[in-house]
Amino acid sequence: MPVICICLSLCIGRYPLPLSDVLKILLSRFESFHISVTDIQYGVVWDIRLPRAVLGALVGGSLAVSGAAFQGLFKNPLVSSGILGVSAGAGFGATLAILLFHSLAAVYPFALGFGILAVMLSCMIGRVYQSTPSIMLVLGGVIVASVFSALISFAKFVADPYEQLPAIVFWLMGSLANVGYKEIQVAIIPILIGFAGLYGISWRINVLSMGDKEAHSLGINVRLSKAIVIICASLATAGAVSVSGIIGWIGLVIPHIGRMLVGNDNRILIPVSFSLGASFLILVDNLGRILTGSEIPLGILTAIIGGPFFVYLLKKTKGGGW
Amino acid sequence: MVSPLLSVEQVGFSYGHQQILSDISFSVDKGEVFCLLGPNGCGKTTLLDCILGFQRLKSGSIIVSGKSISEITPGNLARLISYIPQSHERTFPYTVLEIVMMGRAAYTGLFSAPNRMDRRISESALDTVGISHLKTRPYTRLSGGEGQLVMIARALAQNAPLVIMDEPTAHLDFKNELTVLETIARLVQDKGISVIMATHFPNHSFFFENNDIPINVAMLKDTRFIETGPPAKVLHEDKIETLYGIQADIIKYTNGTDRARKQVIPIRTVV
Repeated sequence: MPVICICLSLCIGRYPLPLSDVLKILLSRFESFHISVTDIQYGVVWDIRLPRAVLGALVGGSLAVSGAAFQGLFKNPLVSSGILGVSAGAGFGATLAILLFHSLAAVYPFALGFGILAVMLSCMIGRVYQSTPSIMLVLGGVIVASVFSALISFAKFVADPYEQLPAIVFWLMGSLANVGYKEIQVAIIPILIGFAGLYGISWRINVLSMGDKEAHSLGINVRLSKAIVIICASLATAGAVSVSGIIGWIGLVIPHIGRMLVGNDNRILIPVSFSLGASFLILVDNLGRILTGSEIPLGILTAIIGGPFFVYLLKKTKGGGW
Repeated sequence: MVSPLLSVEQVGFSYGHQQILSDISFSVDKGEVFCLLGPNGCGKTTLLDCILGFQRLKSGSIIVSGKSISEITPGNLARLISYIPQSHERTFPYTVLEIVMMGRAAYTGLFSAPNRMDRRISESALDTVGISHLKTRPYTRLSGGEGQLVMIARALAQNAPLVIMDEPTAHLDFKNELTVLETIARLVQDKGISVIMATHFPNHSFFFENNDIPINVAMLKDTRFIETGPPAKVLHEDKIETLYGIQADIIKYTNGTDRARKQVIPIRTVV
């Protein structure tokens, strides 16, 4: 499904191309085919649309997967990928980078670093009180997220209102505009590590959702398994958020759509969520590109489109059993 | 002399300064039931948590199959001790078979899932408990009694010689309570597993005694065992009065059959 969406997104845009031309352009890269295309066509597909679509797939997929994993881990269907403060942390990192360096190049490492820092802080707060870690972790996440949100507001307050402030606001609303292969290089390593780890441990997430005590009595090293889930999900989210800005909603809703379609077994749910999240974000990004003359930030569209769609699904499937 | 399956030696536990358990010692042999009685909040669940390795002991030691539980990894401990919770908090609607297969977690690697053999073992566990027909049902939609039978099947799939149950019949109706007790009795008799069971009903221990299953009872009050031994020795009117603060009658009857049965009848509270 994501592959179809990527192909579709290669055709759509200000410079529309039929699918046959897109295939030609894609193949023209390989010299043995001897296909000639114009430089503009080549540039539009290979340098602008393809990296954007691939990155969209990676970002959407990893947000959805980490949301699904956190929901299982915390036994709570209302949890999303930002629960441990990773989004707020990454947002602050990006804001700080824009403030200090006036350049986007510094944004990625800062966003990634602060996103992971935020999760580490949440976990440290969660460990203060030893016997019920899950609820304390969530509380830690809430605390860390609100502190970082306040810091973001402070940064906006002191930012130069003509250059830095628009850049910060635009970044926070989430966008895949102006991305290229460099951004893919930044994001792909944490995303792939995170996804591979979560896919590998997916059955243990099922068992962890029985609660700490039962999971322990069933023979699981609860602490180790939880740590792996948290690290992998946070890596994937931080990698995604650092290149795309904050895109809400996907990490909450896409896993639910997956649950309605294939059930709650994380062995199936995790890959399905990845593919659904990837497809959804590519489609939303396409809409954002073509709906109006200037691009609409993704964070706005995911919520506006996702909300009613989710309500429709809830009504149709009656919530899927819980 | 053969060492017992489980031996608990002078165990003490406290939350901060609050002493919960002191100087608890007992042992459980193969094919034996150990019934833990005591008023609400007396530390029954904490003691079970200690045996499960979920709480760290403050003093004493717990030895299972000749090894101290503090030296056993969770995976290996789960092959020796399985656990049936009081009432299970159900979140995601997994099917009954998926739940039972979770009993195989101790036999699967960190990054893997149960294989076909685990599935077969889980299916035969469902069969043994007699709930194969529930296999594909979402367990969030089961009744309390069915849910508890699923937990028993899961413990069976875990294939551990010792099963720990924390009030396994809480919130169940008359028939379901009896179904659960009969199932436990059958597993002890047929499979030779051992059971440690916390319960609020002294009659549960008489149920096992009436069915000729080796059973010991412990009365836990004010952090200590005030009495341990077979029901015939331990369950007397005066001891029940000390334990719960109630006046009770213990009646013995045959009701036309050739076997004597015993029951505890609560009469009134004693101040």
